[in-house]
Formats: sequence, structure tokens, C-alpha cells
Amino acid sequence: MTIFGRIALAMALAALALLAPSQKMDSVLAATAPSVSLNVAQAGPRQVEETTQQAVARDYAAAWQAMAEALDQNRADLLAANFIGTADEKLTAGIAEQRKAGLHQHIVDKGHSVDAVFYSPEGSAMELHDSARLELQVLDGTKVIHSENATVRYVALLTAAENSWKVRMIEAVPQF
Amino acid sequence: MTNDAIDFEQELSADVGPVTKAIVICAGILFVVCCLGLYGFANELNVPATVTAGNGLSVPASGSGEATLYLAGPGTAIKRKVQLGGNVQLTGDDLQNAGRYVIALDGNTASFYVTAAPVHAIAFLARPSRVPADTPNVVTGTAFLFDRYQNLVLEPQPVKFELEVNGQTVTRTETSKDGVAYTKLDSSKKEGTAQFVASSGSASVRRVVQEVASDPCNIRMTAQRDPRGILVRTDPIRDCAGNPVPDGTIVTFTSTDSRGKNTVDARIKRGIAQAQLPASNDATISVASGVVVGNEIKWRNE
Repeated sequence: MTIFGRIALAMALAALALLAPSQKMDSVLAATAPSVSLNVAQAGPRQVEETTQQAVARDYAAAWQAMAEALDQNRADLLAANFIGTADEKLTAGIAEQRKAGLHQHIVDKGHSVDAVFYSPEGSAMELHDSARLELQVLDGTKVIHSENATVRYVALLTAAENSWKVRMIEAVPQF
Repeated sequence: MTNDAIDFEQELSADVGPVTKAIVICAGILFVVCCLGLYGFANELNVPATVTAGNGLSVPASGSGEATLYLAGPGTAIKRKVQLGGNVQLTGDDLQNAGRYVIALDGNTASFYVTAAPVHAIAFLARPSRVPADTPNVVTGTAFLFDRYQNLVLEPQPVKFELEVNGQTVTRTETSKDGVAYTKLDSSKKEGTAQFVASSGSASVRRVVQEVASDPCNIRMTAQRDPRGILVRTDPIRDCAGNPVPDGTIVTFTSTDSRGKNTVDARIKRGIAQAQLPASNDATISVASGVVVGNEIKWRNE
């Protein structure tokens, strides 16, 4: 192989190496709840009981699954079981606008590293800091408008409902 | 290809050592990375990293003709035609919700964050609604701070908690962290309806906490014969701060004699409790409420 052939091969390999992750990530899409690793060591003033920790991790993962499906399919009815109050209202409004504009969002959720930072004294509210690893796409019909892999930080407020925890507020933030 | 050219290439190939080859390959990779980097740079819109909720945003849009603007964020999805060659305006209404936004215009994309505006409202959890008077760290208040668009205000803010009952006020100021401030306060010496107020900036929320007498300080009873047996009655029952123990509190009277034990539960009514015990010639009568035990009477039917 000539020197120019080698350069061309190296360029091609480099390009393939850079493109490969996004192709691999497409196959990650799954209809199951994402993984949530919840650390409660920093939570206060109330200590988080083990059963509460498990319930919050389970319900927060279910909330993300529901949100991803709702934003992808433009179906606000998927939110009711996991969202309440402001979070429910804002997501519902966003989905209505998406549907009106013919847009939708596709989220490939690759997991959440979550710290509980506040657990109210009476045990009815918990605040989480979530570093979410996501592949995000904004689509106009089937046309991809924006696509990226990102670690996005979220602050979420959860409140205890009858037999589950529901997300009352969730905001992406530049930093914790 | 001429023989000279072939010879030159063979000579070059023969002369190129492994180090040189590696340098050339690295240069190639660097070239690709740079090209992709330039491509990425070209695809970025000039937007600030953060915008305050409710504030508009002006995005320079170079080029000419018409293009489609996309904006996707929390509670927002916009698709509209805009004219290139000037600035594209996003209004405060477009950017009310705190969170991460993606903007796309004419094949260029960027992301930015909207952060909360100043505190406008407080969600205040005050617990419990009924507490015993004169008890330390028994009243808890948790304040979540929101702006006018229901975004959590994450910047630290001073939050003042005030608990006022019968003219006595306990005040404590805490600094919010991650949008939340909380406090624990003592209940006051005297019972009554306490006003529990949380305030930050111009926002203020009031809750009512009923402070009631705590456990009785002591119980004193008297006994007297009546046609149906022995009538026992307490003096007015108060806690150690002198507050009347609430009506409805259970007081237990017990009579023990040679026939066994009789127990009667009675509720405090208008500050006192009374009960009818069976007639007895020789009984020991005691009284208690919760963990507090009152006086004991040796009853002799003479």
C-alpha cells in the first residue's frame, strides 16, 4: 500500500471510530425502565429508610420511562401515574406544543446516577440530584433536527403519594 | 505512471520508517478530527449559556432567505419560519420554564439553560398541625422557593421562619440550599393558636399550628360517697406550664379491694375528669393519665 493509501485508510478508520458509538447506541433503545443508582448518604434532615430508598429509585426510573415514551409518542396520558403538579402540567403543555408543531423527542436513556440531597422532616418530600446519561434527539416527523449524547444534570422534587413517589418538579440545570 | 515516478514512490516507501509512518497516521487522524471539529463549530448558534426565565433572547441568524426555527425545551416546542440575515427573537413567553433548551436553525443547533427568576412563591410544609406546648424542636417547617413561573429557585436565598402565639414570637432565618430551607422550632410555653409564617423576598405564606397543653404535670383527685358507690373527681388538670390539658384526654381511675380491681376510663370535660367507682368498704383508689400518676386515696367506708 502506498503512503497516500495508508493515510486514506487511517482517515477512514478514524472516521469510523468516531461514528461507531452513535450506531451502537441506537441498538440500546429498550422499553424497560432505565437504571437508577440512588445514593442517600447525603440526604437530610431525615434519614432515608431502606424501603423508601428502593421505592424512590423504582418510581423515579418508572417516571423517566414514562416521560421518554410520552415525549416520543406525544401522549400526555402516559404521565399521570408518575408525575404530579408542576411537572405534570409542564410536560403536558410541552407535549401539546410538540403535537401541534409536528415534533417529538426521542430519548435513549443510558442510566441515572442520583443523589438524594433533601428528605423533609415529616417524610413527604425528597429532592434528588440526577446525572443522566442520555442520547437525545429532536425530530420533525421523521427528520432528525438535533441529536446528541450528553450527561444532563437534573434537580427533581418527589412527593409521597398514596402508594408511590411522584415527580412534582424536574428541571435540567447547568451544574449542581 | 512513468518509471521515474514509480521509482520515486518505491524509494519513498522504502525510506519511510515505522516512526514516520506513525506520525503520518496521527496527522491524518488529527486532520479528520479538526475537520469534524470545524464542522461542529460551524453548526453552533451564538446563544448564551444561561437565560433567566421570562427574559427574551435574540439569536443572530446569518445568511439570507427563510429558514425554520426549532426550539425544544421544558413545556415548550416551537417550529416557525424566520427570516435569516438578522436576529431571531425568542420572547419571554417562549422561555418561561427553567431547564435545558435545544435550538435549531438552518441546520445549526445549540443548547442553553433557562434558570429561575427571583422568588415569587413559597410552598410551605408545616408539621404537625397540633403540638404540645413547651416542647423543644417539635415544630418543623420546610419551604420550597419558586419563581413566578413555578421554577424552583436554586440560588441560595434567606428564608425567615416566624412562630407567633399569644404575642410571643420565635424567629429564625435559614439560607435555602437547592431551593429548600427548613427549620425546627420549640413550641411556646403557653397553649394557643400559633401563626407559623415562612417568608423570602416578597413572598410569604402562613400556616396555623395548634399548640395544646402537653402531659399533665400532676393530678389530684378527691373521693366521696354517693348513692351508687364512690364518686371520684380530679381538680382541674394542667400541664407544667399551667395550661389546661385538653378536654377529651383520657384519665384512668382504679379501685383495688379484697374483691379485686375495678378500672374506669373517663375523659376530661371542662378541665376535670370524674367517674363512678363501685361501693367498697376498704379500697385503694389511684388515678393516672398517660405516664403521669396522681395521688392515691385509702378509702374506708365508716
